[in-house]
Amino acid sequence: MGGNVAVPVIQDERIGETGRVRRRRFLDMSDVRIFSTSLTAPAQFVLLFIIMFPLLAEVYISLTSWTPTRGGDWTQAYRFWDWGRNYVEVFRDIAFWQALGRTFLIAGVAVALEFLLGLGIAFLFLEEFPGKRIFYTLMLVPMMIVPAVAGYVFWLFFQSNGPLNAIISLLIGQPFTLTWLANDVTAMIAVIVAEVWEWTPLMFLIMLSGLVGLPEDQMRAATMLGATAWQKFRYLVLPILKPIIIIAVVIRGMEAVKIFDMVYLMTQGGPAQATETISIYMYKVAFQQVRWSFAAAAAMTILVIMTIIASYALRPLQTPQREIG
Amino acid sequence: MASVRLENLRKEFGTVVAVKELNLHFPDGKFAAILGPSGCGKTTTMNMIAGLETPTRGSIYFDDRRMNDVPPGKRDVGFVFQNYAIFTHMTIAENIGFGLKIRGVDETTIRREVGKIAELLELTDMLNVNAGRLSVNDMQKVALGRSMIVKPRIFLLDEPFSNLDAAFRAFMRGELKRIQREIGQTMIYVTHDQVEAMSMADLIAVMDFGVLQQFGSPDEIYNQPVNTFVANFIGSPNMNFVACSFRSEDGKGYLVQKRGSARIAIDERRRQLLEHHSGNQDLIWGIRPEHMTLHAEPISSDCIQAVVRFLEPLGPKTVVHLRLGEEHIKVIAPPSYREAAGVVQWIQINPQYLHVFDAKTGVVIR
Repeated sequence: MGGNVAVPVIQDERIGETGRVRRRRFLDMSDVRIFSTSLTAPAQFVLLFIIMFPLLAEVYISLTSWTPTRGGDWTQAYRFWDWGRNYVEVFRDIAFWQALGRTFLIAGVAVALEFLLGLGIAFLFLEEFPGKRIFYTLMLVPMMIVPAVAGYVFWLFFQSNGPLNAIISLLIGQPFTLTWLANDVTAMIAVIVAEVWEWTPLMFLIMLSGLVGLPEDQMRAATMLGATAWQKFRYLVLPILKPIIIIAVVIRGMEAVKIFDMVYLMTQGGPAQATETISIYMYKVAFQQVRWSFAAAAAMTILVIMTIIASYALRPLQTPQREIG
Repeated sequence: MASVRLENLRKEFGTVVAVKELNLHFPDGKFAAILGPSGCGKTTTMNMIAGLETPTRGSIYFDDRRMNDVPPGKRDVGFVFQNYAIFTHMTIAENIGFGLKIRGVDETTIRREVGKIAELLELTDMLNVNAGRLSVNDMQKVALGRSMIVKPRIFLLDEPFSNLDAAFRAFMRGELKRIQREIGQTMIYVTHDQVEAMSMADLIAVMDFGVLQQFGSPDEIYNQPVNTFVANFIGSPNMNFVACSFRSEDGKGYLVQKRGSARIAIDERRRQLLEHHSGNQDLIWGIRPEHMTLHAEPISSDCIQAVVRFLEPLGPKTVVHLRLGEEHIKVIAPPSYREAAGVVQWIQINPQYLHVFDAKTGVVIR
């Protein structure tokens, strides 16, 4: 590493008492660049290994038809090299695209609801009301509950003899016994409800911090100019909060696409494939059907798709502000 | 355009009374200043006129219409905030045009009106600049333009120049006065800077601790202050106050210094006035530094003796600090004045500008 560093023309400090020019040592710690690089190098190697190794291993496996059941460990996978037939299969697999579509549907609806609810509740928390602190704490509880636990609770909640049906029966005055999780549409609704319940608090927190930081004087100035509440929201609050909103939605969106535990506990992706998200699909392919190389190819495909989407979603943040003309 | 009338206006924040039973009438088309030290209730008064604060009691009228229950956006009031409250995510043009945009005015009209305002404020070249990058001076102009474009009936300015640099402040004082004359709108202006108030306003309301002290033209405020607070607050360097008592000898009236031996004669009208004033042993005489002259010899029998302590040469004038008995007074002398400390000087007071206050209440006796 140090070998590439150009030898300085002026070498006064390297001339010893005998007047001879000292030979440059390998890894000369008096050179700031070498010194600083050597300090950070171990961490960078570890990081590189953590990030790059699994990725490269996945690419490698995805290009073969190796699975553990075909004998040999993964390093021997080259013996089953098949030039990316897995990718063709992924592209042809309707179940993959359906799972991806379902995932985007759940994530899209859930994140949109989380955003609207979070922003709405954050607006309420700008006002003073009795018990505000207690409500504030209660608001944050869902986020702190382990998703698996939440999934189990919602599984109970949506049973045909569960609390939800009991409440509905009470309200309509006759027995109500819908089996929520056994019906395509209602199972989807149940999953989205659980997801929204769990993650609205995060949106709420982010939006509240944004709203609290709104420049009060600008809001007053708009009031004095006759702006209505909606106009203030449209022309001041939204543009000012735009970066926060984008980041919150992108983070939540990427998280929501990975949804697994909640769905697995509530429906295992069922009835049939009605709530099979991409994570559930991957789980089934990899661990139930034991098609590892196919799963690796599917994972790579998702990675590429998500990277493209995320970079587009974040684009508004990257454009610099208008320059002075 | 409209006149503004405040009737028994009162504002309490919890136990603190910010404004006490304020009665004021700002006539139509005038340039008025509300002047006072920090915390005197001037900004609260302004916010109540704008509708940003609700009065605890009392009424606000624009012309003859009671405005208490009219929401701020419907009062037709232009408000320039102390820190300008520029919309930093918009361009200058979008800032200035905001008022029209939210009224649903079409783009072409907005562009034309923004152009006019920009011309008036010399912002034409900068219309597409992002407002978040402006200097304070330009922010000030944009804030003015943003309020002006909707042609409000009344203009309220909350310490608009306090953040500007000195040179630009002097410039804007002139500009604002010119703009006010041009558009002829009622402008009310909050400031703690008496120079600003004196140089710009047609009328000045001086406030202290939520109470209106005096309301009048700059000339009245300066020459006929109603109490020691106003007398002290207006003028730089401020008025000299000397504790004294009234004495009558051989039918002539004198004010005799308490902490020294100075004695000044007063005219017959004042003598009679003080003769019948119950607290006439506990008075304050007030005289502005510019209403006294310094002499090496007593030029009349009214001269009082003082000793020079130090000089403050300011260029166009020199402020001479002297010891009068045990008290400290300031006299304005010509720039050429160069007497050394310790020199005895004779002060000639212009009796026309002598103010006498009751020491207990601070109220002027005249």
